[in-house]
Amino acid sequence: MEIFLQQLVNSLSVASVIILIGIGITLIFGLTGIINFAHGEFLMIGGMTTWLVVSNGGGFIIGLVAAVLFVGLLGFVLERGLFRLTLDRPMNGFIISLGLIVVLQHFVIRFWNSYQKSIPEPLSGVWEIGGVQIIVMRAVVVLITAVVVAITFFGISRSRYGLALRASVADQETASLMGVPVRRYITGVFIYGSMLAGLGGALMIALFPITPFIGSTIVVRGFAVALIGGLGNVAGAVVAGLVLGLMDGLSAGYGLPEWTEAYSFALMILILLLRPNGLLGGTAGPRAV
Amino acid sequence: MKFWQFCAIAGSALFAASAQPAAADDDTIKIGVVAAQTGAFVSAGNTIGAGVTLAVKEINDAGGVKIGGKSRKIQLENRDDRTDVNVAIAAGRELVNDIGVAALYGTESHDFSVSMTKITGPAKVLQFTGNSSLGAILTKESVAPGAPLHYTFQSEPPEFQRSGSTARGVLKLLGKEIGAPLKNAVVFVADDATGQYLSEHYVKALEANGQHVDLIKYPPNTTDFTPLLTRAKGLNPDTVHFWYNGDVTLVAFPQAVQLKVAKGYFLFGVDPGVWADRKLVSTAPVTLSCVPMCWGAPPTPEAKAYFDRYFAAGAVKGVQSSVSLLYYDYMHWYAKAIEESGSTDPDTVVAQIEKMKYQGVVSKAPLYFDNRHRVSFATEVCLVKPNTSDQFECAVEEPPTEPPAGDNGG
Repeated sequence: MEIFLQQLVNSLSVASVIILIGIGITLIFGLTGIINFAHGEFLMIGGMTTWLVVSNGGGFIIGLVAAVLFVGLLGFVLERGLFRLTLDRPMNGFIISLGLIVVLQHFVIRFWNSYQKSIPEPLSGVWEIGGVQIIVMRAVVVLITAVVVAITFFGISRSRYGLALRASVADQETASLMGVPVRRYITGVFIYGSMLAGLGGALMIALFPITPFIGSTIVVRGFAVALIGGLGNVAGAVVAGLVLGLMDGLSAGYGLPEWTEAYSFALMILILLLRPNGLLGGTAGPRAV
Repeated sequence: MKFWQFCAIAGSALFAASAQPAAADDDTIKIGVVAAQTGAFVSAGNTIGAGVTLAVKEINDAGGVKIGGKSRKIQLENRDDRTDVNVAIAAGRELVNDIGVAALYGTESHDFSVSMTKITGPAKVLQFTGNSSLGAILTKESVAPGAPLHYTFQSEPPEFQRSGSTARGVLKLLGKEIGAPLKNAVVFVADDATGQYLSEHYVKALEANGQHVDLIKYPPNTTDFTPLLTRAKGLNPDTVHFWYNGDVTLVAFPQAVQLKVAKGYFLFGVDPGVWADRKLVSTAPVTLSCVPMCWGAPPTPEAKAYFDRYFAAGAVKGVQSSVSLLYYDYMHWYAKAIEESGSTDPDTVVAQIEKMKYQGVVSKAPLYFDNRHRVSFATEVCLVKPNTSDQFECAVEEPPTEPPAGDNGG
């Protein structure tokens, strides 16, 4: 029983960073139509920024804020400089993002080499409750993720901006005629999604060492979460992240351990076959201006 | 001749010259390294280039390789395989076919090295590679003159020997520290070609030392090991043995300590030097092993002097820096074989290496290749005193002469 409960606790923390990256992808892909496969590299840059700040004497909180802001700025520059030019041809944006993966990885390697980077655990300690080990830093990561998810959810579903954003997804032309600055919203969503990746990177390096190659591993999971949950659906991304986290935990615990990832992706295939728009339904993507 | 005709002929000549493989320069001996400078195996791969580079510098600074009263400098060509077998093969082809190297060092990945022999063998290029999985294909017949692997040398001991000496040393040190008999072990290893090969032998070695062993293979690229470590905890192990990528091990190990998976741990491929350098600390007893001698706790003054020179030359302090020693020694050995045979002819050099005993830094006893082109030497194992970053108790374990029951001796 202890082991089973431990696996459930593990699943929550496994899910947290995936949910953050998945929400970023689901917003950008689902609401703007930009397929950014370099989103994992944004996470990596966030982790590296945190590492740079912490290894130069800054605290973790400063590193986390710096990561969020820097990756947000990076998102702004890349959206304005590259992706904006491909909105009419999403496939070009997709190919550009593949190129960006290599460019961003090699930029980091050029200046800070390709070795693992880690920071001292910002919060050490393990709580033991009924034989279950709860790692304090992981609990904090789960908490931060929950807060960010709540803010994002209410921002999209309840705020005036969220309403305008959803209107522009439904019909960009009509939304424009109604005075919604669609292009600016696209930039805003891209920046927000990028900031979530920066946050994910900062939280990730608080848990594990990272390398310049971590992004490609994470981004596949992020896209799985976005698709399983339903494109553009924040609640869907949370449910999908939890489902994948649970799948990881339980399959590692009770299935063939080397098949852990295979179970998760088999589940993704099954869900997409049965529910092509994801578990909670999503957008079919925005219509081009 | 008209001007345009002259230009066309001159241009064609220049193009033809540039398209030719680099002509052998009598004043240099070209040597290649193919190893990961980036990617998952950078910590192991980087040491190959750095170790060979240091040896080449020392040889060249001493005047070069002396053949018949004439000295020839060594020209080193380093290539990054990016931990990608296709890149490794492309780099190998370039070095062998285009650059015309006489010997090749690397790679760090077992399956890559085996693939590389298909390039070096037909071109009569000597290949020195540490990967013990070569043992599966190196036989008396395959290394005989004229056979496909005549120019291939395995620079690490057969895997049953390394696993045997490692398992014995680890259990001895952990048993003493924990103060209770060790019976149950979990081997935690990456589910890739190298991990599968290595764990096959290490499990047998632990069983030969009285352990009940459970094997848990994790998917490559795993970063969150808690689900699999929780599974391991459910098996009630006395010890968990992490094989084989040191970088990955240093991600998984702290998670194991936080979850209190076992009483003691073994981390393969993590030098005591990196433990001290990163100021790592563990509440649980931990053992580390090095192939062949540990950076951070070298058992001989020669090894200590080597690591001082190695890092002074600018090498990165990676988790597996000790691996560099192998390639440093084998570069010097190769140069000495050329000097003693008085020739760079590959068949002559191979014949010379086969009959040599070489005293380098790797081993207290002189090294020699057996009739399957394999070497044998001891493994150093160190215990990290709990709650310390720089207190180590080390022992040098000699390899077993025979494989344990069920081990095919690869």
